[in-house]
Amino acid sequence: MDTDLLSDTFVDLADTMVADFDVIDFLHVLTDRSVRLLAASAAGVLLADPRGELRVAASSSGQAGLLELFQLQNDQGPCLDCFRTGQPVTAADLTAAAQRWPRFAEAATRSGFRTVQALPMRLRDQVIGALNLFRAEPGPFDLAELRIGQALADVATIGLLHQQSVRRRETLAEQLQAALNSRVAIEQAKGKLAERLSIDMDQAFSMLRAHARSSNQRLTDVARTFVDSASADFPPPPRC
Amino acid sequence: MTDSRAVVLWGEVAAHAVSHGRRASVADVCAVACRSAQLDGSWLAAANNGEPGFLMSATDLVGEQLAELQLTLGDGPGHDVLTSAAPVLAADLDDEEFSRRWPAFTPAARRLGAGAIFVFPLIVGAIRAGVLGLYRASAGPLQDGQLGDLLILADAATVMLLDSGHRHAKNGDGDGAGLDGQARDLALHRIEIDQATGMLTVQLGVSAAAAFARLRAYAYTQDRRLADVAADIVARRLRLHRDPGQDGGP
Repeated sequence: MDTDLLSDTFVDLADTMVADFDVIDFLHVLTDRSVRLLAASAAGVLLADPRGELRVAASSSGQAGLLELFQLQNDQGPCLDCFRTGQPVTAADLTAAAQRWPRFAEAATRSGFRTVQALPMRLRDQVIGALNLFRAEPGPFDLAELRIGQALADVATIGLLHQQSVRRRETLAEQLQAALNSRVAIEQAKGKLAERLSIDMDQAFSMLRAHARSSNQRLTDVARTFVDSASADFPPPPRC
Repeated sequence: MTDSRAVVLWGEVAAHAVSHGRRASVADVCAVACRSAQLDGSWLAAANNGEPGFLMSATDLVGEQLAELQLTLGDGPGHDVLTSAAPVLAADLDDEEFSRRWPAFTPAARRLGAGAIFVFPLIVGAIRAGVLGLYRASAGPLQDGQLGDLLILADAATVMLLDSGHRHAKNGDGDGAGLDGQARDLALHRIEIDQATGMLTVQLGVSAAAAFARLRAYAYTQDRRLADVAADIVARRLRLHRDPGQDGGP
């Protein structure tokens, strides 16, 4: 375990959680860091929507196969099991998990993944989502890695409840919907920018994020303004 | 997890419309939302310049007055949800948080007889279509499942507002066009649909609201699943054109 990287990660995450930070941006940083810290190939945060869906809030890559793997878990897969039981779910070799999750195991193997881990995001007695980790090689995450992974999942939960006193029990539901809607606006902005510049979705995301950082704006605000703008130029020209 | 709840609720909206001898509209969503969550009344306002500026429907006089009150004051939960994109779940209007948040609206709403107010943004990412508001005379939280139902019904109302706003654009035959065929897809929030909407704003040179309506109309007229059409657009296997006659191909 790289302890420097570990401490850097938690310092960075804490630094991100300043006043009025962007939750989706924060969760993206968290998935990127989870990949590096836990020697994973990919990571994602799935949130449980009261509509009865697991929705992707952030992923370390926008690769279509990976998104499909997250979205497929509305029907079957480790995140669904993790969400239902509130317990970590491990599959150390997906080729042996075909009976448990036939479609998921097949799709994951096709995308080049052999190991998958889901860690619950818990708030008191409620499970609000899961951190999902993938590796290309078979073999389980070790105990130290699982503890750090769970700590990252816990930090993701705290990030979601940012800056709100959770005095009313409704606050979490309100925050969750705001976060999911941010995600939609960011995806719309990625689509618009990718089409405008003929680039891929990950490149578009990097540009949006870089502009948000350099102009000191929330990523969601940058995305909304760009999608709203009648022009497809980026950054959007100031409104007259 | 299943999408059956969405299918059930969309079915109730359609049945409510039929029982009133009309095509499904936001009025039917308001009625089903009240019944489903056991609330006393509801209203729906379309967004205009970032405000819930145009009252489309109300199930009763109190609902209508609550909507108009916010327009008069220029303040209230309807304005908040359009700004924050988060619902307001005010289970007890006597909670001091709400008199702090809306010093004029809250006491007036209490006088109108509302003890609890639940307001949902009708928003798809950057697209702001309107707000759905509901009230109950007594205070108290939503029960398990009611929040999910209301979110699903808010999605239904959003789609109806967006489709009706762009009906003449092309093909979409408006009210409830997607009620049957696309109910399943609408219940699923697929990232490709959001990305494709963004791409179409550039391909078609239109607003995000118009791009979203056109994407749905295309899937509907081609009798294909919305998520599949969106995936084709994102993979650049399909382009739509300003002249729909030229749609297709990469």
